[in-house]
Amino acid sequence: MSSDLICVGSISGAYGVHGELRVKSFCANPEDIETYAPLSDETGARTFSLALIRPIKNGFVTRIAEVATKEEADALKGTQLFARRDQLPNLPDDEYYHTDLMDLEVFDTGGTPLGRVKSVQNHGAADLLEILVPGANQTVLLPFTLQAVPTVDLSARRIIANPPEGLF
Amino acid sequence: MSRSVWKGPFVDSYVLKKAEASRESGRNEVIKIWSRRSTILPQFVGLTFGVYNGQKHIPVNVTEEMIGQKFGEYSPTRTYYGHAADKKAKRK
Repeated sequence: MSSDLICVGSISGAYGVHGELRVKSFCANPEDIETYAPLSDETGARTFSLALIRPIKNGFVTRIAEVATKEEADALKGTQLFARRDQLPNLPDDEYYHTDLMDLEVFDTGGTPLGRVKSVQNHGAADLLEILVPGANQTVLLPFTLQAVPTVDLSARRIIANPPEGLF
Repeated sequence: MSRSVWKGPFVDSYVLKKAEASRESGRNEVIKIWSRRSTILPQFVGLTFGVYNGQKHIPVNVTEEMIGQKFGEYSPTRTYYGHAADKKAKRK
């Protein structure tokens, strides 16, 4: 998979007998999956011009221009849909896509490596960076605040952290 | 049935003591607590609590909107990663 492709949804199967598909969206706002069309498969070789028809439980009924029959729709079951990173709109300062933060190296203010970002989580309070610490079998959650994470350098792929005491 | 108003909000006493000690020291630290049942009080705003979820302490930065909720609501006991897709994180 190319690193600039982001998984935004998946095809759950056919819907009805007229070549419509059931698509699950992974976007923050599920309807936004349509704005990233044309989407591609994992390799980027095949593209899908997707149009949402109506919402259903756990996804949307969609029409893909390249799919005309139920048999073709059935064959696509399980296919993940990818958008290119450059299709995502630009964000204001201090706002980042989860996909951009993942795999960034984390250093403390003294330059000591702390680990690597494994995921970004939000449990209702502030966003949290889940950091994989080398040599440890548990991950550490770092609050994604200006105080705890003063610098995010996406071009250098590194984060400078000032973690609260007792976290690492 | 909801809790009687005359009793006031429930908070484990050790949580109050730890929060007070942390506020007085002025240190940037995570206050580790195991009491998921304690109510978030106005004096906790601005502090960071590490709320135990049965496995580890989840950092919870207390803000004004969280007053009156329980700490456990911000420390899920089950993990679901999902997909990053176009989800955003904001530094506050």
